[in-house]
Amino acid sequence: MFDMFNVYLPIAEMQFNALILVAIGFSVGVLGGFFGVGGAWVVTPALNIFGFPMAYAIGTDLAHIFGKSIVATAKHRKMGNVDMKLGLMSIVGSVVGVEIGAQNVMWLTKLGIAGPVVRYLYMVLLFGLGFYMLYDYLTKDKRAAVQAAKVAEAARAGLDLPVRKAWNLPPMIHFPASGITISLWTVTGVFLFTGWLSGLLGVGGGFIRMPALIYLIGCPTAIAIGTDLFSVLFSGAYGCFTYGIKGRVEIIAAVLMLIGAAIGAQIGVTAVKYIRGYGIRLLFAIMIILAGSSVALKQFELTTAAAWLVMTAALGMCAVIMIKLYNGFKKEQAEKAAYAGKGGA
Amino acid sequence: MKRYMVLILNFFFLAVSSNLAFAEGVAKAEPLQKTIDLAKLTGLNYFFASWYNDNMWLYAIMVTAIMGVIGLVIALVTDIILKMIGMEVHKMEHHE
Repeated sequence: MFDMFNVYLPIAEMQFNALILVAIGFSVGVLGGFFGVGGAWVVTPALNIFGFPMAYAIGTDLAHIFGKSIVATAKHRKMGNVDMKLGLMSIVGSVVGVEIGAQNVMWLTKLGIAGPVVRYLYMVLLFGLGFYMLYDYLTKDKRAAVQAAKVAEAARAGLDLPVRKAWNLPPMIHFPASGITISLWTVTGVFLFTGWLSGLLGVGGGFIRMPALIYLIGCPTAIAIGTDLFSVLFSGAYGCFTYGIKGRVEIIAAVLMLIGAAIGAQIGVTAVKYIRGYGIRLLFAIMIILAGSSVALKQFELTTAAAWLVMTAALGMCAVIMIKLYNGFKKEQAEKAAYAGKGGA
Repeated sequence: MKRYMVLILNFFFLAVSSNLAFAEGVAKAEPLQKTIDLAKLTGLNYFFASWYNDNMWLYAIMVTAIMGVIGLVIALVTDIILKMIGMEVHKMEHHE
């Protein structure tokens, strides 16, 4: 029945179902727009599971990520979620960091332990980050209560609250869009570190940079997402070009995926408006723990199960985001209607 | 006690993942360069495949430009559609 949607892909030299490409693009577009990530960790195994050759999966994925990031960044910018200054600094820091990471990989390859070390680090990072964000979410109320008690106690005693210790080594830079003032050395160090990790692991780095922007730089969640997408746009453009030169981009498949992804990204970005920062962090934590589980399954040589897990997780998360968007939109419409009703009375 | 439990759990996870990391599979070799047979291609497929065969640099530039342009066009069109159904966005306040 779905054979009528089969298209011929001239570069990969194979028939492939256009509906699958648009659907994968759509779901990863929703996730990308919502979490501020490229989503290569979902697309590459998803394409591969349906028989798309691995050699073309990565290049085609990066090509569609570039187009999708334009859509998502433009919309996030409209919502005031892109800190251009921070984004540009992240690009510079990441390029240097990626190069150092790539050199480390070469060194590990010479020692013959690159594969295991990279996989180990990847799993530790996904699980570590996921569980930390989950812990952060679960303890937020407790921390808020402790802070409130401290404020109340200081007020009773007539004292000022002790200032939180921070590393304020000059020069300090102010980022008006994010509303933060931070040492240049902290920003440089964080982006060098995230770039180094993405160079070492061979990933785009969106899922590393987004939490780093929140927890290490101190950005509000929505700005971390928008700013990260701004960086993903540049890495996606470079990835698309360099894989293009190597002949590993299947252009028809990339365009079909982009059509789905662009629509999905609009939905994902709009959903950010209706969900609070901590809600986004919780969903992100769940998603990367599932991605980590998928990598672990792959290490047991359960490649098909790993790909299905990550794809099912992506589709499930996509459904959750769309339901949240729908509920938020309905609520907003009801509030608007009530406001108009009051005005009319 | 709780601290020790967390520590033991962490060591367990680190040990499990290190064992998994060393369980390596074997990858199949693939040719790096290829030429596409143009005989059975027509239209757009022929156009892209012939660029692919002739000059990989121009193919890469074309792919990057096409992705950028399509991204911009879709951003514009979907924005108009979402605005029509009342889902337009403005600058938002940042709540954690």
